[in-house]
This record gives sequence, C-alpha cells and structure tokens, in this order.
Amino acid sequence: MSATIHASLTSDKINIQGAYDFVADDAHGAIDVFVGTVRNLHEGQNVLGITYDAHEGLAKNVFTQICLEAQSRWQGTKIYLSHYNGELDIGGISIIIAVSSAHRANSFEACRYIIEEIKKRAPVWKQEHYENGRSEWLPGHSLNEANSE
Amino acid sequence: MNEITLNIKFFGGFRKFGEGLSFAVPTGSTIATIKAVLLEKLNGETLVLDSVLANDNEILRDDDILNSDASLSILPPVCGG
Repeated sequence: MSATIHASLTSDKINIQGAYDFVADDAHGAIDVFVGTVRNLHEGQNVLGITYDAHEGLAKNVFTQICLEAQSRWQGTKIYLSHYNGELDIGGISIIIAVSSAHRANSFEACRYIIEEIKKRAPVWKQEHYENGRSEWLPGHSLNEANSE
Repeated sequence: MNEITLNIKFFGGFRKFGEGLSFAVPTGSTIATIKAVLLEKLNGETLVLDSVLANDNEILRDDDILNSDASLSILPPVCGG
C-alpha cells in the first residue's frame, strides 16, 4: 500500500508537480493545491526576500501530526506538505500543501486546516529583508498557547 | 548542591544572541525556573516570556523537572507558512 502522507522540511526548491503527482489518485476527483510564496511588500515596506528558520526535528513531527489530524477529520484524503527552510527571493515558494479526495469539499477544507495549523503550531520562523537594508524577525503565535490547549 | 548543565539552542528572534548558550542550574529545576535564568542571562529579553523550551521531541511544560544534563531549544512565537 502506498503512503498517503508526505510531510517534509526542505532546503531544495519546492516542486509543485511532485506534490500533485503524490496525491493524484484514480479514485479521487479533486486535488486542492495551496502554494505559499514570498511577496514584495509587508506593512508598507519593500521586501527583498525572506530567510526561513526551523527546528528541523520538531517541525517534521508537527507537520506529520497536523497531516494525521487532517486525514482523521477528512478521511480518505491524500496529503503532500513541504515547507522550505533557508533563504528565498521574491516569488520563491515557501510552502506547498496538496490534498486529494473523492469530492472537492474535503480537499478544500483539509488544505485550509493544514495551513492554518502550521501557522499556529509549527516551529518555523521568518526573517524579512527590506530594501532599506534592515532585517526583522516577524512576530507570530506563541507556542505557550498551543501547549496549554 | 548538585547541578546539571543545559545547552540551549536559539532560533528565530533569538539568533541575535548567537547559536545558543550553556549554563548550569540546580538538579531538579523546573522549566519555569530555567526560563527565568535564561531571561536573566539574556539581559531581560522579553521574547523569553512568550517562548517555550523544548527537547528534540516535544515542548516542555513549565512544571516539568530536569534531573540530568540536557540539550534544549528556546522557541519564540512561530510564523511559518
């Protein structure tokens, strides 16, 4: 039986086709793909790029856990998740989530669940680099809150 | 008093302090106590207050107790995606 979850942290360029191919299934009539990219503007500042930082071991554990939760809620889904770690220029792909299911609702909902949970729970950080030469680690969600839930 | 040695690895906003920090605390210290020590060693860096300590497998709770040397990470608020 082939794997139904792929969850990884990578410093290689994220491959959209690879994600699509992983979740493609003859019994599934829907594939939803979310691609996160680096944008050139943040709160009025021109952004040149982002450096991602991650706790590799914990991040992989959290990614897998979130995918298992999604698969439990939307049964029968196949899920591909890959998050980038390292430096990206504008337009670079920071994350891809692909979910397939028999019908479209499960794919949409599972995909949304995964990205929202990653933003709250995955030990990943980003440092934006601005046109004026400054760099700043962005604020985020405290894991104190996630850990007490 | 017996002591244990902790190696704390930094991520995200803590990178400005370097790769990490090592220090000793009394055996049986709680995670809350260790965070207080870290706050002091990082000159009152308030980011510590919103951060958690973790080992390689899980986030540790404030009332968890450490009785032996450990390698930990201090994890600031996250913003992946």
